[in-house]
Amino acid sequence: MNRFLRGLFAVLIAAALYGLPRLFTMDYYLHIFVMSEIYAVLALSLGLIVGFAGQVSMGHAAFYGMGAYVSAILGTRWGWPFWITFWIGGIFSGVVSYGIGRLVLRLRGHVLAITTAFFGVLVMVVMNNWISLTNGPMGITGIPRPTPIEAGSVRLVFESRIHYYYLGLFFVAGVLYVLYRLTNSRLGDAMVAVRENEELAKSLGVNAMKSKVFAFTAGGFIAGLAGSFYAHYILFISPVTFTMNESINMLVMVIFGGMSTLFGPILGAVSLTILPEFLRMAGEMRLVIYGFALILFIVWLPMGVWGTLKNRLFSGKA
Amino acid sequence: MWTVFFQQTLNGVILGCIYALIALGLSLIFGILEMANFAHGEFYMLGAFMALFSMTLLNVPFLVALVIAMAGMALFSALIEHFIFKPIIGKPMINSMLLSFGLSTALANLALYFFKADPRKITSGLARIRFNFWGLFLTGERLSILVLSVILVLGLSWFIRYTVTGKSMRAVAQDRTAAQLAGINVRRIYAVTFGISGALAAAAGTMVGAMFFVSPEMGFTVVLKSFVIVILGGFGEIRGVILAAILIGLVESLGGGFISYAYKDAYPFILLILLFIFKPEGLTGGNRA
Repeated sequence: MNRFLRGLFAVLIAAALYGLPRLFTMDYYLHIFVMSEIYAVLALSLGLIVGFAGQVSMGHAAFYGMGAYVSAILGTRWGWPFWITFWIGGIFSGVVSYGIGRLVLRLRGHVLAITTAFFGVLVMVVMNNWISLTNGPMGITGIPRPTPIEAGSVRLVFESRIHYYYLGLFFVAGVLYVLYRLTNSRLGDAMVAVRENEELAKSLGVNAMKSKVFAFTAGGFIAGLAGSFYAHYILFISPVTFTMNESINMLVMVIFGGMSTLFGPILGAVSLTILPEFLRMAGEMRLVIYGFALILFIVWLPMGVWGTLKNRLFSGKA
Repeated sequence: MWTVFFQQTLNGVILGCIYALIALGLSLIFGILEMANFAHGEFYMLGAFMALFSMTLLNVPFLVALVIAMAGMALFSALIEHFIFKPIIGKPMINSMLLSFGLSTALANLALYFFKADPRKITSGLARIRFNFWGLFLTGERLSILVLSVILVLGLSWFIRYTVTGKSMRAVAQDRTAAQLAGINVRRIYAVTFGISGALAAAAGTMVGAMFFVSPEMGFTVVLKSFVIVILGGFGEIRGVILAAILIGLVESLGGGFISYAYKDAYPFILLILLFIFKPEGLTGGNRA
C-alpha cells in the first residue's frame, strides 16, 4: 500500500510539473520556473558538499561560472553543439574542483569557508581580466541555443522558454536520481560519517579525504553542468552573474530548505527564486529587506524549513 | 627605480597598518565568540561615515571625529551583539556566517539608500604637511596613520594583557565553560569584544576615508582580505595578525606596482595556498587552527 501511495504521489507530481507551464503561460513565469530548475540543480550540488559531506564551501559560484564560460567559449568560438559542450563544461569544473578539493579539503570550518570564498574571487578576477579569452566585464554574447534533436519523425527544438522548462525538468530529475543513488551508497554513508565525526570515521577505516574530495568534485561537476545550461539558456554571460553573493545565495538555499536531505535544497531553491520576485516592488530597499529576512530566518529556523517540519511531524515533539 | 620600490614598500606598510586594525577586531571575535563576522566590513564603513558626518555637521577636528567614530561604533557593535548575534552563539558556524552576511547586506544597502553611492573624502587637514626623506614622500596624514595604528595596537595589547577584562577575555577564548565556572560574566565579555572590534574598525575606516574615500560599498572588499590575514596570522595571535597584515599590504602594494595591478585581488589567495602547502601551522607557528 505504501508503495502504491508513493507511486501515486510521484505520478501526481510529474503531472503537476508537466501541467505547470500550461497554467502559467506568461514568459515571466516561465523564466522564473527555468531559473528555479537551474538553482535547484545548484542547490542540490552544493547540498552534497555542505549537507552530506559537511564541508562549507563559499565559492560554489566559481564552478557554476567555469562551466558556463567553458561551454560558451567552445560554442561561440568553434561552434561546438550544446550537447557536447554541456558535458565538457561540467567535466572542466569537475577537474578543477578535484584539484582545489585536494588542496583545501584538509582545512576545516571557517578556514575552509574563507579559502573557497577566495577561490571564487580568483576565478572572478580571471574572468574580468583575461580579456582575450573571456571578453572581460563585457561578457560573452551570441551563445548558440541547443541544436534540435531529431529521432525518426520526432523533432525537438529549443526555441522558447517552455522547451527549456521541459529540458530542465529532465536535468533536475537526472541530477536528483544520481544524487539519490550516491547518498544511499556506501560512499554516501562515508560522507555522513566524516561529517559527524571525522576522527571516529577514520578509525573505522573510512578514507575521510577521499570521500570529502569525491563530494567536492561531484558537486563541482554538477554545478558546471548547471552553468552550461544557464549559458545556453540566457545566451549571454558576464562575470557579475558568478559573484560571491551568488555563492552565498546558494548556501542560503541549501540552509533554507534544510541540509542533508535531497528535498530540502530543491524546496530552498524554488522558494528563494520565487520569493525575492515579490520584493521587486520594494525597489531600493529590496536588499535591505532581504538582509533582515535572512537574519530573522537564521534566528528562528536554524534547521531550515523542511528540517523543522520534518522534526515536528515525525518526532512528535516541537 | 629604487625610489619607486621604497615608496611602494612604505605605502604597503601603511596599508598593512590599516588592515591590521580591521583584522585584529575580526580575530578577537573569532577567538572569543568562535564566529566569522562578515558584517565587520560594514562596521568599518559605518565608522568612516560617522567620522565624516561629525566633521561636516559638527565641525570638530579630525582627531575628535576619530574618537567620536570609535566610541559610536563601539556602542553600535555591542548593541548588534546583544540584539542580533546573541541567539545563535554556540550554533553551527554556517549559521553565524549566513546571519552576519545578512547583516552585512542589510547595513551596506541601508547606507547606500541614505548616503548614496558617490565617494566622499574626509579632509583631515593633515594632507598639506609633507615630509621628504631622500625622495620618499610621506604626507602628514599617512604619518599620523602610522602613529595612530601603533598606539592603538599597543593599547590593545596592554588592555588584553594587563586589565582584568582583558584577562577575562583570554580566559573565555581558552575555555568558555571553565571561565564561566570561575565567575566570569561571559555575556559581558562578548559585548566588550564586539565593542573593541567595532572601535578598531571605525578607526581604520576613518583613516582610509582620510587617505582615499568613504563609500557604502567599501566594506565588503576589505572583509574577505581581513579574513585571509586572520588565517595567515593564526587565530587569536596579535603579533601574527599584525605581521600578516603588513605582509598582505606589501604584497598588494609591490605586486600591484611591479607585477600586475589588474590581478591584485588574486594575490591574497595565492599567498594563502602557498601557506597551506609550505607552512600549514600558520605564519607564527601557533598551533591553534
